[in-house]
Amino acid sequence: MIPGAACIGWASRFVPFMRRRAWRREWEAEVAHAWQRLNRNGQPSAWSVLRLRIRIYTCVIDALWERKQTMKMTGPLNDVRHAVRNLLRHRAFTTIAVTTLALGIGANTAVFTLVDGVLISPLAFDDPEQLIAIQHIGHGGPEARQLPMSQGLYNVYREHASTIESIALFAGTTVNLIGDGDAQRIRGQAVTPGCFTVLGVEAAMGRTFLEEEGAPEGERVIILSDGFWRNDLGADPAVLGTSLDINGILRRVVGVMPAEFGHPNQDARLWAPLIVDPARASLANFGADGIARVGPGNSVQSAATEIEGLIGRLPELFPESGAVSFLQEVGLESSVLPLKQSLVGDVTATLWILLGTVGFVLLIACAKVANLLLVRAEGRQRELALRVAVGAGRWQVLRSFLSESVVLAGVGGFLGMVIAGLAVKASLSLVLTAIPRVAEIGVDLRVMSFTAVIALGCAVFFGFFPMLRYGADDLASQLREGGARGATGGKESHRLRNGLVVVQMALALVVLVGSGLMYRSFQALRSVDSGFDTEQILTAHITVPTAEVQDWGEVAGFFRQLSERLEAQPGIESVGFGQSVPLGNGLGYFSIDVEDHPRPEGELPVFARNHQVEVGFIETLGIDVLDGRAFQDGDGAEGARSVLVTESFAQHWWPGQSALGRRMGYEGEDWYNIVGVVADAHYQSLEQTPEEMVYWPATVGPAEDPQPTRGMDVAIKTD
Amino acid sequence: MGRLFSLTYPTASVLLAIRGGHRYGFDIMDATGLPDGTAYPILRRLERRAVLTGDWEDEADGKAEQRPQRRYYELTPLGHKSMGDVEARFPMLLPLFESEAS
Repeated sequence: MIPGAACIGWASRFVPFMRRRAWRREWEAEVAHAWQRLNRNGQPSAWSVLRLRIRIYTCVIDALWERKQTMKMTGPLNDVRHAVRNLLRHRAFTTIAVTTLALGIGANTAVFTLVDGVLISPLAFDDPEQLIAIQHIGHGGPEARQLPMSQGLYNVYREHASTIESIALFAGTTVNLIGDGDAQRIRGQAVTPGCFTVLGVEAAMGRTFLEEEGAPEGERVIILSDGFWRNDLGADPAVLGTSLDINGILRRVVGVMPAEFGHPNQDARLWAPLIVDPARASLANFGADGIARVGPGNSVQSAATEIEGLIGRLPELFPESGAVSFLQEVGLESSVLPLKQSLVGDVTATLWILLGTVGFVLLIACAKVANLLLVRAEGRQRELALRVAVGAGRWQVLRSFLSESVVLAGVGGFLGMVIAGLAVKASLSLVLTAIPRVAEIGVDLRVMSFTAVIALGCAVFFGFFPMLRYGADDLASQLREGGARGATGGKESHRLRNGLVVVQMALALVVLVGSGLMYRSFQALRSVDSGFDTEQILTAHITVPTAEVQDWGEVAGFFRQLSERLEAQPGIESVGFGQSVPLGNGLGYFSIDVEDHPRPEGELPVFARNHQVEVGFIETLGIDVLDGRAFQDGDGAEGARSVLVTESFAQHWWPGQSALGRRMGYEGEDWYNIVGVVADAHYQSLEQTPEEMVYWPATVGPAEDPQPTRGMDVAIKTD
Repeated sequence: MGRLFSLTYPTASVLLAIRGGHRYGFDIMDATGLPDGTAYPILRRLERRAVLTGDWEDEADGKAEQRPQRRYYELTPLGHKSMGDVEARFPMLLPLFESEAS
């Protein structure tokens, strides 16, 4: 037995368990080697044995050093373990606190997920800060109107704007796809070939459009979305080069876009070239959206200034164009915005207000939990007094409060993330089309970091109050004087708790008032008289492709036959076809002539919303006929040439008089007679005042060349 | 280079001893002449800071001498980089640790 070696075994109990075996093995090996050396030349001297023994005893110093180092790291871990045990012993308190925090943090995380995806994260394109949306503003009516882009202006900017590197037009459309099964209506986009270049995206398979494919004589090609290729074509690897029947025209598939691509959203399932014929491009027909990429070294502001300047130069560039005079009459201006701002502008304020509101809710939750912790701390007076008595410092006592706060906030934060994930998923499925950039909304690292930060903030917030209460230097004397029953301690504690209750009430009041106002707005919206029936009405859209049916007479006949066949079905009360059902795709304006209000030369023409409808549309939607009648057979271009006007239109042009029998026309064609006045209906939105509108028969134009509308919405009233 | 540890005379002695070939705990104590309770805390600290690395000698070496395997220490690349500082601050120690361990 090596003298003193037993000390190693005894000292090892100071070494933390995980290190103990290795530590003991090392010391025993060194001691064994040293003893071996001492005995190499015979019996060692007493002095050398004593020296070795002293050296062995110093293993205690090493053991205590190991213990101290480990305690530095595990001290906080011990506090957390202790906090968890304490909280599990008080399940009711812990459940209330964790639930409160989880709901508050979850709500904040859910809204921040929306804010992050919609407002904060950059657009998923190359150099997104260089992308702009080019829109216009016209002042031809009582209010300024937002206008997109015309093909003529697109050509002007493309040719003359030096601050712009590339520019494109795009327009949403719905097409008929005829495949092996039934025909389908597919949402797509018509884009100028440079659109993908502007956005800086490549096709995942194949290629994007070539410049020549945007010319009138260009090849008919098509690009598919990843979703369409996978879901409808079975991810066929040989899809490139095959042809699809789109609106009766065969188009060759040249590319498939990446799964995550979509602008302005991911509704489009295919893209076709938007044909722009420079010889026929209209300056004043604003039918597509414009985007552009600002060139290197230029800014959005410089591009905006240059585009505004080009609008001013239109008379010089098109000296003989009547459209330029019209644009000048309506005071056309450009509106150039960063692309992201144009996409999210409408919801920016709403989302920030929502985030602020749930922030208030979280503050209420934190104040609640802080109050609960304060009450609980009052009940721990004896435990704290004991800890102080055995030598625990102020910081150790405060650390115990903070540990409980951290554990509560940690668990609350984790559950909050789960709640947020479910809430975001549920809300997106309900309001899919109302939120821009919806495909980019999801829980990512930034959202998780946000949750961690607010959870930590919550821990600090409600850990602060017990620290405030017990953080004084004279902690021990405070505890000796007693808590709830002691005069000073009781008053201070009550003041803190009362203060927290006041904060909760104030914040709750703010949230309540805000909620009340929102509810009132919602109720006001619900109580708006839409002007049409909404119960038991089915709607759909049908387009007769030009390639399939070219004769106009057949087009008109198609809708009439379809109407008759639908009405013959059991359960269907009535059917009506029109360009757009209310709150649908929107209706256009065109200039009209009012016989008894001729416009002098040089004055702005009369603009009104125009709506072509078949017989039965007014009755099917339950729009009230206030004077005269609705359409009947024979009212079209080749027959009686009748129109209907809305009440607001009639009151504008013939205040206090009957509009029946008055005449109006458009584009210099023969006059139409007003045979009925109908109630205003909300076609654009329930919030906006209905605009003046003229209902034309579905087939308009000269009697010898009637022109029916090819694309119609159908409204079907069921029993 | 920012120093990861406090470069005191005892710490410098330990590093120089290890570089000089004294790799085992008791040998380092003997080579440095430091008080017995000082060397091991220094070794632990330097090992945690990744200036030293420790490992067990080959089992065969221990068996050959009929004793348990000892634990030896050697400089890491970071430790080697630190030696410049050591030599600059304690040049008088250099001659003391230039011999190989016996």
